[in-house]
Amino acid sequence: MNPGAAPSLLGVTVRRSLSTGRFFLGYGTAISVVLGVSLALSPGSAFASTFPFLLPIFVVVGSMGGMVVFTNDRIKGVLEYLLAYGYSPRRLFVTFLLTALALSAVVLSVAVAVGLGVYLIRGHPFTTQLATLLVVYAIPMSFSSPAFAATVGMLWTSLSSPRAGMNSPIGLIPFIGILPSLVTLFLLTTLAVAGVFSPTELLLVAVGVAGAVVLIVVALLGTLGRFLRRERLLSPA
Amino acid sequence: MSEPTLESHGAVPVIECLGVSAGYDGIRVLRHVSFRITEPAIYVVLGPNGAGKTTLMRTLSGILEPYEGTIRIDGETIDRSSGGGRVHYLSHVDGIPDGLRVREALNFYALVERAGPSDVERVLDLLEIRPLADRYVSQLSSGQRKRVSIARVFLRERAIYLLDEPTSNLDPKVASEIRTLVLNLSRERVVLYSSHNLYEAREIGRYVMTIRDGQLALFGRIEDLRSSHFVVGIRTLEPSDAMAGFPKQGEYYLKELPGPEAVPDLLRTLESQGVRIRELREMGNPLEELFADAPEVLART
Repeated sequence: MNPGAAPSLLGVTVRRSLSTGRFFLGYGTAISVVLGVSLALSPGSAFASTFPFLLPIFVVVGSMGGMVVFTNDRIKGVLEYLLAYGYSPRRLFVTFLLTALALSAVVLSVAVAVGLGVYLIRGHPFTTQLATLLVVYAIPMSFSSPAFAATVGMLWTSLSSPRAGMNSPIGLIPFIGILPSLVTLFLLTTLAVAGVFSPTELLLVAVGVAGAVVLIVVALLGTLGRFLRRERLLSPA
Repeated sequence: MSEPTLESHGAVPVIECLGVSAGYDGIRVLRHVSFRITEPAIYVVLGPNGAGKTTLMRTLSGILEPYEGTIRIDGETIDRSSGGGRVHYLSHVDGIPDGLRVREALNFYALVERAGPSDVERVLDLLEIRPLADRYVSQLSSGQRKRVSIARVFLRERAIYLLDEPTSNLDPKVASEIRTLVLNLSRERVVLYSSHNLYEAREIGRYVMTIRDGQLALFGRIEDLRSSHFVVGIRTLEPSDAMAGFPKQGEYYLKELPGPEAVPDLLRTLESQGVRIRELREMGNPLEELFADAPEVLART
């Protein structure tokens, strides 16, 4: 019956998310750039010690466009249409997850380029510590947190009745999306208070949390068919 | 609207629905529905709200997996990944992506359908929505959105068309044009067409499927349906004493007859009494009775 795999919708979904989610994208990018530039202009090494830890929080906000489009598509019957034409729920989830990661890449690249650029222009050195924080923490967490937020958000949206405002998945997901960052910061703070903070502990905690989040996302997507019936993606209209 | 170009599609598909039960979250809406379709035609699906019409469409399209039973098309069992093959499904909701202009929305559908830019241009003309092509979907009226939604069904040909209330929200002129398009389709295709408009159903349908409480209550040819009360309305050119004893509905005098075969005798009788008849029409619609009482199953093909 099926003449072939249904075509990829990633490109068009990213374009739609850039348009529909432009407020979130603009806000997330602007606030991370303002933060980066402010810290870069500050005396001392405030940028190097703070910016990598805060960046993932704003990246989550910027990646919300994918989630907005997913929710709209469910309500408007677009997901129902796609299910009828051979797209599986898992494939739809993965498409929107990759869309969230693409939006995250936009926020991350702009914020790092501008913030780090200003920081270096101001004559600060690009230290090993800053490079480690960016590579080991900021970048992995800037992708794993939006992936977590998008996956949980799509599941929540699918399993609940549509509602608007802050008390909706779209309103609450940014707070859930920053949970991995908060957990990491909590663990690092705990280790620092205990006097055992070192680059090794930082590496272990950051990689551990990011890895755990990725595992949760993969597990949720892998078991999607068991707890998400296809009818949960139909328009409630 | 111009007629859609239809190339010969070969043999008409045989659709078999065998003891299908389906629903939502484990709750059965359709129960043990069985039928067999072997002929290109419009099969009007009727039933009160919540009876299971949309659930039937969703199950046939592969969106919902039957809890039990089997759906076969040309002997091949359809499953959850089958929808992209031979079935066009038009939901009762528009299914138009947000934030796009009309042409962009059609390009989105064309991507899913593996249709080309020329197909998009063709349906813009076919549904007469070219003037709307550069407008955002959010700026359209509900009727205009419906036309855009219907346009995607004509991007590519399929063997089976499942149309869930395609003319809802449309003005009479556009609804009539859509019916003409669907009638043309049905010459070579199987069209399941759900509607709440009984007059529309009678106008275009060759078969009727009535869903009641999730079960197939009737499946038969519409022309085989007979009203239990055959009532004609008579309009006269001028008042006549001969019509004094007839009850009236609007401009029509009403007369109940045993059946259509009694109409010639009635006409002769009235003419012999000097009644100048302007119009005589059947007042009831046998499909109306399908909603009123549980009908007998006339036929199962």
